[in-house]
Amino acid sequence: MANVDGRATAITVLTPVWPGASLWLKLLFFAGRHLEFTLKKLEMLSFIHYARWTIVSRFPDGGRGERLHYTYLFFESNFNGTWEEYIDAFSEVVPWRMRAIWFTSFGFPGPLPVGPFKEYIRKNEYVANHYWSAYPAASTTEVISAGRVAAALEEFHGRAPAMEPAQFRAEYDRLLAGLQHDL
Amino acid sequence: MSDTSKNTSGQAYSLTVLAPISSGRSSDLAAYLDDLGSGEASPLARVPSTHFARWAVLDAPVFEGGMQRRDSWSAPRLLFTSNFDGALAPYLEGLRTGLGAIADAVWGHCAGYPGHEGAAPFAAWMRAHQVTSSLFFAAYGEQTVEDVLRNLALRQWLMELAIDAQGMSDADLKAAFLERWPG
Repeated sequence: MANVDGRATAITVLTPVWPGASLWLKLLFFAGRHLEFTLKKLEMLSFIHYARWTIVSRFPDGGRGERLHYTYLFFESNFNGTWEEYIDAFSEVVPWRMRAIWFTSFGFPGPLPVGPFKEYIRKNEYVANHYWSAYPAASTTEVISAGRVAAALEEFHGRAPAMEPAQFRAEYDRLLAGLQHDL
Repeated sequence: MSDTSKNTSGQAYSLTVLAPISSGRSSDLAAYLDDLGSGEASPLARVPSTHFARWAVLDAPVFEGGMQRRDSWSAPRLLFTSNFDGALAPYLEGLRTGLGAIADAVWGHCAGYPGHEGAAPFAAWMRAHQVTSSLFFAAYGEQTVEDVLRNLALRQWLMELAIDAQGMSDADLKAAFLERWPG
């Protein structure tokens, strides 16, 4: 069992959806794909590397797929930090989005209060048997910061050889000051 | 909207594969996956362009009770998900060649798996068991694994230089910057 690799944690959840509610989910995810603001809020949860929702109406079986009584909603997340912190933040920052998605699932108690919600997730999650991250020591914030640092640094490096030492010092100091929140 | 665009965010791709496990073999498979090495010893470290990936054995759908009817699969499922760079076809080929015999040791527990020797049957089997994402969130979907690792290394390099450079003359600072530049 391995839901953790370095600082990265995996969540894997599969929940049965009330009959008829999958149409709502399709509309919701269509909006998510086409209206930028719906996912913007997730960027505020600055510890999520990657997450996905998948509506599973047939479970692949090599043929036409196996249908059960219900359609299922699959969710996975890759984030830095602990499971507890993640669920807390999710239910505090995006409670209405969570309600809009998971009220379609049997037994969903709502994101708040967070205690019953955690019990619900624990009951519906599967622990990964093997989990891997290419950069287990890095948080999402560090990856995004490093992208800004690298871009600024490469631009500066391109100009640096032509600078007099005093000018280099001044621009180097300015570079560091500009990147102080990303270092 | 095509399935490909549902699975992607920027250049990042979300792959979900759900395959039925052959009768009576799910606990052996779970034990095998549990024992795989972690970090750089993970076989997934040899699959190019993978940011995060997991395997999980799903024995049965969760039963919430109440008004829900109890669901069961005809066979437990093996879940494989990956968040990777670029298109699916080259990734599946990298998965096949990178995992090699490990792919057979894992998916060989699943019904109808053709083995990793043939590129076309392997890819076709994976695609036949793929489930399309409904909504995929990537915090930095424009960055490849290579970008992320390089940016993190550049950020680290700058932090170390900034510490070492304290007290250097302007000329020494410029020389150190250019000589140590890792790019």
